[in-house]
Amino acid sequence: MTAPTTSTNPPLVCWSCHERALGTHFCASCGKLQQIPHALDYFALFELPKKLWIEMGALEQKFLQLSWKLHPDNFVNASETERGLSLKRSSELNDAYRVLREPVARVEYLLATEGARKEGEHKQQAPPELLEEVFELNESLDELRETKSAGGDLAALKVRLETAASNFQQKLKEVDAELFQAAAQWDTAVDAESGGAKNQPERDAIKKQLNELLNRRSYIRNLVVNVQKEIL
Amino acid sequence: MSRIVGIDLGTTNSLVAYIDPQTKEPKCIPGPYGSTLCPSVVSLDADGSIVVGEAARRRLLTQPERTIYSVKRLMGRGSADVQTELKLFPFRIDPNSKNVIRVQLGDKHFTPPEISAFILRELKNWAEAFLGETVERAVVTVPAYFNDAQRQATKDAGKIAGLEIVRLVNEPTAAALAYGLHEKQRGHVAVYDLGGGTFDISVLKLISTSEGDIYQVLATNGDTPLGGDDIDNLMQAMTREKIRQEHGVDISSKPEVAQELRKALIAAKHQLSTESNVDIHFPLPNGSIFATAISREHFENLIRPIVDRTMAPVKAALTDAKLAPAEIEEVVLVGGTTRTPLIRSTVREFFGRAPHTELNPDEVVALGAAVQANILERGVSNMLLLDVTPLSLGIETYGGAVAKIIPRNSTIPASAQEQYTTGVDNQTGIDIHVLQGERELAKDCRSLARFTLKIQPGPAGLPRIEVRFLIDANGILQVGAKDLRTGEEHSIEVQPSYGIGDAEIERMLEESIEYAEQDFAERQLIEARTESESILSATTKALASPQSAALSAEERGKIEASVAAVQEAVAGTDYKLARKRIDELNHATEHLAELLMNSAVSTALEGRKLAEV
Repeated sequence: MTAPTTSTNPPLVCWSCHERALGTHFCASCGKLQQIPHALDYFALFELPKKLWIEMGALEQKFLQLSWKLHPDNFVNASETERGLSLKRSSELNDAYRVLREPVARVEYLLATEGARKEGEHKQQAPPELLEEVFELNESLDELRETKSAGGDLAALKVRLETAASNFQQKLKEVDAELFQAAAQWDTAVDAESGGAKNQPERDAIKKQLNELLNRRSYIRNLVVNVQKEIL
Repeated sequence: MSRIVGIDLGTTNSLVAYIDPQTKEPKCIPGPYGSTLCPSVVSLDADGSIVVGEAARRRLLTQPERTIYSVKRLMGRGSADVQTELKLFPFRIDPNSKNVIRVQLGDKHFTPPEISAFILRELKNWAEAFLGETVERAVVTVPAYFNDAQRQATKDAGKIAGLEIVRLVNEPTAAALAYGLHEKQRGHVAVYDLGGGTFDISVLKLISTSEGDIYQVLATNGDTPLGGDDIDNLMQAMTREKIRQEHGVDISSKPEVAQELRKALIAAKHQLSTESNVDIHFPLPNGSIFATAISREHFENLIRPIVDRTMAPVKAALTDAKLAPAEIEEVVLVGGTTRTPLIRSTVREFFGRAPHTELNPDEVVALGAAVQANILERGVSNMLLLDVTPLSLGIETYGGAVAKIIPRNSTIPASAQEQYTTGVDNQTGIDIHVLQGERELAKDCRSLARFTLKIQPGPAGLPRIEVRFLIDANGILQVGAKDLRTGEEHSIEVQPSYGIGDAEIERMLEESIEYAEQDFAERQLIEARTESESILSATTKALASPQSAALSAEERGKIEASVAAVQEAVAGTDYKLARKRIDELNHATEHLAELLMNSAVSTALEGRKLAEV
């Protein structure tokens, strides 16, 4: 295993011919593959506005188009520097596509780039309105585990847990619908600014709401997964 | 740049293919026995030389303890991983081996990559003899479900064989390339690949764009130690038990007889693909004959659990690709084991359509490897392959849990960054454990590597190190680190958990060159002599023919001088010179060859060799 070679600073000039870099994938003078500027986020890489609704067909088209250019298969006979760059650039492209095509990952990423969500943040506190149901669910889970180890009859318990699980699954759908709505609000707010000044208070409010919805979603999802694991 | 060939390094057979410059179609290269299949069998001769392929396969019967087959099952695995294999295969493993297995052949020990290297070198020789040029670069296929260690072991085998593996390509993806080229099909394709020792299922999307065709893998899954070998083992266990009951003979302690029986049962298995009943008469060491019959029905009941085992990965791959069986437009069968009627009917039933079987299932992977080799040689021009990593990459966190940082079925190359800092003042290192697999606990995943990030002593929480994990286009992990405060890049030397160190590979390479240079030179000389015999006799005949009267005195003189030069060269020991002289004679006799042909077709045959006329 070797370390990928990457240089650190965002390039101002082409690494190969030292002409001024214009922020294109390939140098306008010598045609060599370029380093990506640090400021470029996943949305910018795909030349998309920082909005949450994305037309999937167009996203795929762009992904395939960039893959043609950046994929390491193009650089097998190239210099080591270019091979390293292609590896870095094509992995960034694939990472970006992976995030942008999943709606929830897309929201998480947008919030992270806006500094509104720390990487790996998952508040594992039960949302207040769910407290009672979560409490009941955990009791049933405990009971199931005990009955399992005692070798008792699981059928009735399983039915109860399955009902609870489908109940939470329903809640997950509701959260997703709310998330979808909040995302649409974000896009509307961005559109309303259309070149003008940012409406920061409105943006912050939507970001806060999106963040809370993500936390709630991740909490409920974990619950469902845990229950399904126990029922199996 | 030199030519890149495509190699299928299989459990049972290996093949090498190239793109025919005339037809632009991939073709498999035949070996000295005329077959394109090189049995993946290696034998250590009593005189210390290595025998590979068909000749080694024959030695399984005469010198089983000096001969090994199905070594692919051991690649990248530790001795603790292969305990099941040891019960079923006659592998003689050095009891002292731990994370890297050592296999005993006669009085010597070899690692699985060294044994695979002998096979690669044999294929390299086939290609060089056929193409008449040195071959130094190859695309080699691996099962899609191979993990990092197994891929790394395959790359190591290339290094030991003196062959640069420019790319590892997943076998089902290679098959899809060969098929796509052949069928010009578009849409969703499922490739079901059951070989000698591995099972893979890949779901691809074939897309036509204005730039060319894209083969995008959506999801892959599999069961690495599962294949035709397992069917053979079931048949052997059943038959041995019958022999023990009916004749009171236990053949498990007699390796030669066990190999004879295995061979007979494999033949019976092949017959059962087309016949409904097979009779077996097997002579036992005590002089009696064991007679039995196996019906298709009995055989299918025996192997049904194996066929069923393949269906769980098929369903998982479809789920990951977010597709229903009915949304798959084409199903392709790859691997010799898919000739089994039960497998064909099971796959047909599941997908609700007849699978493609037009291309030879033994050759299709090698043909696809040659296609990919051609793409790499010339740069992507009209075809692009986007493959995925089969297993999630994770790092160990508190309490032995695993945090997934690159999910399975991510398009490769793929990467993830993690930031680290210190917990106590003047901490000088942070331990990082990288794993591969879908389970939640580190102990249930495959350990890829452990390493320590070195930190400049300082107050706790001050250092900020970003570690970049990158899975390259071969599906192999690379690790880099960056100090976020200074912007300094660090390379990280990562010792793989189940790999061979670089120094050791160096040593193995040197040893293998010693083996090979001698073998190779000898073999090349023998081959050159054989070839010279046929061209010399063809030349003598042609010079005596009436058509040769049309040759100028100068031409005739050149040919005669060239004949003498060949005779002199093949009497010596320099195979390169012999080959050069043969080529010169071929060249000198081109006009003569044309004269021998009907003048109407002579233009079409320009450049033909005399021996071919």
